Amino acid sequence: MSKFKKNDGKKAPGINTSSLPDIVFMLLFFFMVATTTKEIDPMVKVRPATGIGMTDLTPFKQRSEVDFVYLGQPLKGDVDKFEKGIAVQYDGILHKDGIRHIGKWKQDKFATKPAEYTAPREETMTCFKADEQVPMGILFEAREILGDASFYTIGYAASEKPNNKGYNIRTQ
Amino acid sequence: MAKREAPEINAGSMADIAFLLLIFFLVTTTMDKDTAYARKIPKKVEVIDPEPVQKKNIYKISINNKQNIQARDSIIKPEDIEQLNSRIKHYYLINREKVEDRNVDYPYYSMVTKAFIDQRIAEAYNKQENYEKLLETDSKYEKFIEQMDNEIDEWNRKKRILDLYTKASGKKEMPEIAFQAHVRLESFIDTDYSAYVAVQSEVEKAVTEMRDEEAQELFGITYTSMRQYYQTNLLEKTPKVQEYKDKMDLIELLFPLRIIEVKPKR
Repeated sequence: MSKFKKNDGKKAPGINTSSLPDIVFMLLFFFMVATTTKEIDPMVKVRPATGIGMTDLTPFKQRSEVDFVYLGQPLKGDVDKFEKGIAVQYDGILHKDGIRHIGKWKQDKFATKPAEYTAPREETMTCFKADEQVPMGILFEAREILGDASFYTIGYAASEKPNNKGYNIRTQ
Repeated sequence: MAKREAPEINAGSMADIAFLLLIFFLVTTTMDKDTAYARKIPKKVEVIDPEPVQKKNIYKISINNKQNIQARDSIIKPEDIEQLNSRIKHYYLINREKVEDRNVDYPYYSMVTKAFIDQRIAEAYNKQENYEKLLETDSKYEKFIEQMDNEIDEWNRKKRILDLYTKASGKKEMPEIAFQAHVRLESFIDTDYSAYVAVQSEVEKAVTEMRDEEAQELFGITYTSMRQYYQTNLLEKTPKVQEYKDKMDLIELLFPLRIIEVKPKR
């Protein structure tokens, strides 16, 4: 007589999966709330600068008051084709005029937005997402063009600095 | 007729549908937040014969193409950048609430009182009356009258802020830093973006810490949390949003963040 009974043809009881959809829906809602939609795929390499105490742009994005410009080395193609090796990405394109196109681009963006959605001209933000090694001269050129077109609000994008690390400044 | 039971719907594929949706959202969204330093480009105004800015009111920080930083007379290496924090706080706080025995190299504070504001408002009204009389002779005075209107509005705003300050702190005098006092950021054409942003970060951090401390003392809530609430609920016109706005105005008047970014020459 053995203690172990032989499995005489009985199947293991099935696991009740009726609450599986609930669990998955819970996960789904969590991700819907906690994430934001991705913008366009980057065409330039951007290693973000770090800093503390930035303004969160999420409310600005929800009110569609902010436009992003990406600056950095191009991911594809020839680096030498661009001035100082820095390509400027407006939405989906790397414009050949580089930063000098910014005035026209911003004007177009502003004009195509419905009036009830957007803030007054002076308050729509232009946010520079620049690679950490982008020279400041380019950004000041952009500032001047935007200032002349009376788009007075700009943003310098940065990501939160980890507490135990310093700023990633290139030393020479 | 006998009542027939409705057949049960098979919900076994519900999980599959939910998974599909979940994976879709995982792919199309990102977790990282967009954060940035919001700055204003100064408007171009033509001023004839501008009043020169006194040297004590400028805190000049320059960053060269090797990412070395010079704050006033001291050179700071990139790895010691966190020194800027205490230096900027020192710049703001050394003469605060002092009327005598002030350090001549740092911006002065004035103590704003109700009587002082009232006097200024009365002066502005007087001037405006004069201009109105002169308007009959020359239409160019219209502009001056408008200017006086703005000035009166500005003083009235300050009066409301002072009221709030008196209510919160019990003091009748409000310390206000010289209106010219500012941080002046200079860079080279080929200064790295990361170094420039790091300096912005240090300045912002120093001022925000002072603001937080002051707000905590006056209202029992930090400036940062008030600002966060205000920015997300900006479009709703609830009394709480307005209350926070007023309080933030007061704190910003006590510790103004004025950064002038100078276009690089070389």
